[in-house]
Amino acid sequence: MVDSTNQTITQEAPPLDELKSGSPPFTSLVQQLTQVVGQANILYNADELLVYECDGYIVDKSAPDIVIFPTSTEQVSKIVKLCNQFNVPFLARGAGTSLSGGCLPIGGGVMIVLTKMKQILEINLRDRYAIVEPGMVNLHLTNALKGTGYHYAPDPSSQGSCTIGGNIATNSGGPHTLKYGVTTNHVLGLEAVLPDGSIIELGGPTAETPGYDLHGLYVGNEGTFGICTKAIVRITRDPESHRTMLAVFQTIADATRAISAIIAAGIIPSALEMMDHGIIQAVEEAFHFGFPLDAGAVLLIEVDGLEIALDEEVRQILEICESCNVREIQRADTPEERQLIWKSRKQAFGAIGRLSPSYCTQDGVVPRTRLPEILEFIEATSKKYNMRIVNVFHAGDGNVHPILLFDERDQEQIQKVLEASEEILEKCLELGGSVTGEHGIGVEKINFMSRIFNETDLDTMETVRDIFNPRQICSRDKVLPQHQSDEKAGVVQSHPARRAPH
Amino acid sequence: MSPTHSGSQEEFVPASQTELSRFMTDNTAAAQKQIFPVGGRTSLSVCCPASQSGTLICTSQLNRVIDYPVRDMTITVEAGMRLDQLNEIVSAEGQRLPIDVPQSNRATVGGVIATNTCGPRRFSYGTIRDYVIGISAIDGKGNLFKSGGRVVKNVAGYDLSKMLVGSLGTLAVISQVSLNLRPKPETMSMVWFAFDSFQNADRALEAIVTSGTRPTAVEYCNSKAARQIAAESRSELPSEHQVVCVCFEGPANVVNWQADQIREEWKTFSPLSSQIVGAEKATKLYNAFTEYQTSSDDPVTLKAVLLPSQMMKFVEAASQLNIAVQAHAADGIVFGHLPDSASSLEDVQQILQQLQKAISPQTGHLTIYQCESEWAESLPLFCSAPSGWALMQQLKNALDPDQLLNAQRFSELVEA
Ligand SMILES: Cc1cc2nc3c(=O)[nH]c(=O)nc-3n(C[C@H](O)[C@H](O)[C@H](O)COP(=O)(O)OP(=O)(O)OC[C@H]3O[C@@H](n4cnc5c(N)ncnc54)[C@H](O)[C@@H]3O)c2cc1C
Ligand SMILES: Cc1cc2nc3c(=O)[nH]c(=O)nc-3n(C[C@H](O)[C@H](O)[C@H](O)COP(=O)(O)OP(=O)(O)OC[C@H]3O[C@@H](n4cnc5c(N)ncnc54)[C@H](O)[C@@H]3O)c2cc1C
Repeated sequence: MVDSTNQTITQEAPPLDELKSGSPPFTSLVQQLTQVVGQANILYNADELLVYECDGYIVDKSAPDIVIFPTSTEQVSKIVKLCNQFNVPFLARGAGTSLSGGCLPIGGGVMIVLTKMKQILEINLRDRYAIVEPGMVNLHLTNALKGTGYHYAPDPSSQGSCTIGGNIATNSGGPHTLKYGVTTNHVLGLEAVLPDGSIIELGGPTAETPGYDLHGLYVGNEGTFGICTKAIVRITRDPESHRTMLAVFQTIADATRAISAIIAAGIIPSALEMMDHGIIQAVEEAFHFGFPLDAGAVLLIEVDGLEIALDEEVRQILEICESCNVREIQRADTPEERQLIWKSRKQAFGAIGRLSPSYCTQDGVVPRTRLPEILEFIEATSKKYNMRIVNVFHAGDGNVHPILLFDERDQEQIQKVLEASEEILEKCLELGGSVTGEHGIGVEKINFMSRIFNETDLDTMETVRDIFNPRQICSRDKVLPQHQSDEKAGVVQSHPARRAPH
Repeated sequence: MSPTHSGSQEEFVPASQTELSRFMTDNTAAAQKQIFPVGGRTSLSVCCPASQSGTLICTSQLNRVIDYPVRDMTITVEAGMRLDQLNEIVSAEGQRLPIDVPQSNRATVGGVIATNTCGPRRFSYGTIRDYVIGISAIDGKGNLFKSGGRVVKNVAGYDLSKMLVGSLGTLAVISQVSLNLRPKPETMSMVWFAFDSFQNADRALEAIVTSGTRPTAVEYCNSKAARQIAAESRSELPSEHQVVCVCFEGPANVVNWQADQIREEWKTFSPLSSQIVGAEKATKLYNAFTEYQTSSDDPVTLKAVLLPSQMMKFVEAASQLNIAVQAHAADGIVFGHLPDSASSLEDVQQILQQLQKAISPQTGHLTIYQCESEWAESLPLFCSAPSGWALMQQLKNALDPDQLLNAQRFSELVEA
C-alpha cells in the first residue's frame, strides 16, 4: 500500500555544495539522520567515506557525503524523506560488487547501505517462496535452505558477497542462468521505498497479482526506481543429481562448436562455462589443478536433474565433444572432484591477479552461434593493442567476459584498455548482441545506450523512470544518458572515462 | 464465449509495423478515436465492451517471422502471429515455446502477452513473461518504442516488456516480439489419481514439495469439472471423484520411471484409483485441461489465484456452491465455472460474496475471468484494487494520456 504521509520536499532547498561538511544544513541533516538510525549506523568523516568512493568499477570515483546503515524499512523511508527535505541526492548500496559503477554517488549525497537489513523473514516450502531483506547475501539464502531440498537459483559468481537487493537492482545472472534463468525469473514480489519516501508493495507470493507487472518492471532498474527493502523470491527444488565434466579442446573454435551442438541437440546443461588458454594458464599457475597448459580452451559442462536421466545426457555430450575434436574429458566422479572443477571456475578471477596488476572485465553478449566470431575478434584486438586479454565466461548464454590485463600506473595502457573494450563491445552490437549481459549500464556504459536504442526508446524509458523517480534524486545519472549535459557533478576520473566516438 | 461486436466499430488491419505506427501517430494528432487492439478475438466480449465505439486494430496481417536463428533458439515474430503457426515453425526444428494457450489456432502472440495467458505447464516453465527477450510496441501517443533485444541475456535499459505483459492492451499495441525457445521433449505422460476427500487430495498435492519426481504440470479438478473434461477429451478420467493429474515430460525412460514413482509415493494418501495415461491419450487430456478455462458455455467463469497451501479451502467452498472447478494446482490458480442455476446478476454477486470469504487478502485474490457482456459492467473484473495502483495509473497516463487504448478495460482492471 502507498504510504499516505505527506511528502516534505522543500522547494528552496540549499544548493548541494552548501551542504558540504561543516555547513549548518549539513550538520542539521546529520543530526536528523542520526536520530533515525543511531550514532553507530552513520558515517560522515572524510576518511571513513573513502571506502565508499567506488564499487567494483574503479574507473570513476566520487565519495558520498554521508553513509548510513538503516535496519528497517521505516528507517529507509525516513532517511529518504529527509534527503528530499534537504534536496540531497541518495542511492542504495548492497555489497558494492557492481562492475558498472552502479554505486557511484554522483554529486555526493547520502549512500544508503543495506547490509544490516539481512534477515530471512519467511521460508515457505509448500508455496515455494522466501521473503528476505535486501541486504541478505545471495549465498546465505541457499545456505539457510540446505537440507530442505530447495535452493535459490540465481547464483552470480559473486554470490558469496553480493546481496539479493543488488541482484534485483541489476537483474543478475550467473553460471546456472542457462537452465534456470536470471533474477527476474525468480522474483515474485518486493517492497520498495520510492524516491519520495513512500513505501510500496509490488507483486506478492501468489503466482499472479492483479494489474501491471510492476515488480517485473522494477527488476533491473539499477537502483534508479527507489530502494528495495524486502524481496519475495521463488525457491527452486534441488536437482537430484549432477554430472560435471571438463572438456579440453585444442582450439577455441572446436570448443565453441561443441557449445552450439550440445544445445542444438536439445540438451540444456545447467552450466556451460568456458575458459581460454590464457585463463587456464593463470588458474593452473595459481592452483595446480593439472590443466594441460597447451590447451586452447576448456569447457566446464554440468548437467543436472533426475539421476535416471543423466547418464544418457552425458553420453550424448561426450559424443558431441568427440565430433568436435575434444582432446580429453575429465569427469568428476566424487563430490570433491566436482568441487575442485568448480573451484577452478570460481577462482579464475582471483588467479588473474598473478598475471597483471590491474584488469578490466567486460560483459558483452552475442547470439550463441556468433561466439567464434567474437572470440576471434577479441584475439585480433589483443594483438592490435599488444595487450593480453583472457576469457572466462558463461558460454551457454553467449555472455562473454573478456578480461583486459593492464597496469593502471601506465596512462598509455589505460587508454588502450578503453579503446579495446570499446571495439569489442561495438562488435558485440554488430553481431546482434548487447553491451551488457548481467553487470548493467550503470555509469560505465551509459554512452552506449544511444547506440542500442533510438531517441523514442530512450524517451519511453525516461518516462517510465520519471514515474518512479521524477526528481532524479535517487541514484542520479545512471542507466539513461543525460539530455542536458555530459558533466557529472563531483566525479573524479582516475582514468580517462570511456567516451563513445559517435 | 463468443465474441460479440456491435456499435460503430471500424477496423484497421495494418500490413506492417510502420503502417500501424503511422496510423497511431495520425490518430493521436487528429481524430483521437478509441483504439482496441485485437489479436485472435478469443476474448473480445470481455476486452472490448460492445457499447464503445472506436477502431479495432486487428493484427492479423502482422504475422511474419522476422528472424529465426534456429541454433540460437530465439525467434523474432510479429505480434499477430497465431500460436499454432509459431509452434509449427519452431516444432519443425525440434523446439517449442512451452506456454499452453487455449484456442491456440486463433490466439496470437500479442494477445497472449497482453493477457499473460498460461496453462498447466506454468508450474515448470513459467509464463510468457519469462520468454519475452525483446519487444516493440506503439503507445497511445503514437510512439513506437522497443526494449530488450534478440539475445537471451541482456540488461541494457529497463525491461519494458514486463510492463506490457498482462497489460491487456491498455498501454501500447504490441507489434513485434523476440522470444526465447526451449527444446521439445521426446515424450509425455500423465498419471491421474481419484480421491474421495479434499483432505487426501490436498495432502497429495503438498507431497509434490518433496517428491522424488519433477512433474511439469499438476492439475486438479472436482467431480463436476472432471465429468466435463472427461467428456471433452474422450478419456477414462474418473468422473465421480476429485482428480489430481500429474504430468511428466522428457525422454521415455525418465517419464516412465516418474509415472511409476509417483504412484508408489502417493499410495499413502489412499487414492481410490490411479492410472498412467500414455502419450497419445495424455495429449488429448492435457489439451482439455488447457482449454477448460475458456471452454464453458456457462455465464460466468471465475479465476482465483491463491497460495497453493490455501487452495483447497477455496476449492471446497466453491464445490459446495456447485461450481465446476479446475486448477493448475501446484501454482494455486483456480478456474471455476458457475452453475446454470446462477442465472441472475444477483445470484452471481451472492456467490462471489460467499467465495470471497474463503480468501484472505494476504493469500490470494478472486477475479471475474469471463462473463456475459450484459453483466460485464456490473461485475468487478478484479475484486480488489492492487497495491501499486497509483503507479499503475501514472503509467497509464504517461503512455496513453488521452486514454485511447482500451480505456474502459483499464478502469475495470482495478475498480472494485
Ligand atoms: C568477482 C565478481 C563476479 C561477478 N559475477 C557476476 C555474475 O556472475 N553475474 C552477475 O550478474 N553479476 C556478477 N558480478 C557483478 C555484481 O556482483 C552484481 O551486479 C551484483 O548483483 C551486485 O550486488 P551488490 O549487492 O554488490 O550490489 P551493489 O554493487 O552494492 O549495487 C549494485 C547496484 O544495485 C543498486 N542496489 C543495491 N542494493 C539495492 C537495493 N536494496 N535497492 C535498490 N537498489 C539497490 C545499487 O544502487 C547499484 O546500482 C560480479 C562481480 C564481481 C566482483
Ligand atoms: C481480461 C482477460 C484476462 C485473461 N487472462 C488470462 C490469464 O490470466 N490466463 C490465461 O490463460 N488466459 C487469459 N485470458 C485469455 C486470453 O485472452 C486468450 O487465451 C488469448 O491469449 C488471447 O489472445 P487473442 O489473440 O485471442 O487476443 P484477443 O482476444 O484478440 O485480445 C485479448 C486482449 O489482448 C489485447 N491485445 C491483443 N493483441 C494485442 C496486441 N498486439 N497489443 C496489445 N494488446 C493486444 C486486446 O486488446 C485484449 O485486451 C484472458 C482474457 C481476458 C479477456
